[in-house]
Amino acid sequence: METKNLSTENSLKIIAETMERSRMTIAKNSGRPLILWGCLVAVTSVIIYFLWSKTGSPVWNLLWFAMSIIGFICTILMSKNSEKAPKNEVSRILGKTWMWFGIFTTGFYLMIWVAYFIMRTCNPDAAIRVDLTLIITLMMGLCGVISGVVMKMKSVVACLVFATAVSVLVALLVNGPAQILVFAVLGVLGLVVPGFILQGKVRNNQQAA
Amino acid sequence: MEEKQKTFKPLDPLLHSELRLAVMSILIGVDEADFVYIKSQTGATAGNLSVQIDKLSAAWYIEVEKTFRGKKTCTICRITDKGRNAFAEYVETLKQYLQIPKG
Repeated sequence: METKNLSTENSLKIIAETMERSRMTIAKNSGRPLILWGCLVAVTSVIIYFLWSKTGSPVWNLLWFAMSIIGFICTILMSKNSEKAPKNEVSRILGKTWMWFGIFTTGFYLMIWVAYFIMRTCNPDAAIRVDLTLIITLMMGLCGVISGVVMKMKSVVACLVFATAVSVLVALLVNGPAQILVFAVLGVLGLVVPGFILQGKVRNNQQAA
Repeated sequence: MEEKQKTFKPLDPLLHSELRLAVMSILIGVDEADFVYIKSQTGATAGNLSVQIDKLSAAWYIEVEKTFRGKKTCTICRITDKGRNAFAEYVETLKQYLQIPKG
């Protein structure tokens, strides 16, 4: 790129192309974590399903915490190896949205345990009935849709809406260990597929440039 | 056409250059960007980019911070309010030239 003077048409073209190229470089860094977390969520839910079905104990749900730690470490390692891209409003919104999803789901899970122990102290026969899968599915779907909207990717939004609708339907119809498999559906359709859509769009954009 | 152009505001000469405009287009969309990122996005040579960044910095369109990342030096650039306004005005003027209606 030289320092030559420009026609007005070329000026607008440079502005549009440079902004789009920069936006895509930043988007590329958002695609890989989606694929990573989608795979982790899908694999973990299948593992929990098998262990829960075999042993009959829902305690295997604690593996979600192990998954979060593994995912967190992998995300840091991935960001160190990927092309450095500056932060913009989109990457900040994406980061904060998923960070707060993590905080809300972890906090929600802990609150259920706190409420459970308080109730059991007052009344040993008390039980709390919360459809945790359904609530987390809705929150995950919402965060995914927000991600698609801020990235201006209609295909990602459509994918997330479809994945959330299917997952919610399954969560309402199925109970027990099999219900946990909705996260496998949501992980693949809601995170892995949009991640690949994003990567594909970035690749196409780079080839066109 | 010439008669028509007389009514237009002149384009900011500092921005009306391919590389400086590209640098500003990158910085307008991010909080800050380092020299390596700007170089990779523009495909400019280090020397040329450095000269153009100095010109933008001298006009206070961008601010430049020299820092260290590990043991390596790192030049971070960010757009100033003056630069943001100048860029917006430049785009508006371009629209006038191209007769693009507002909105």
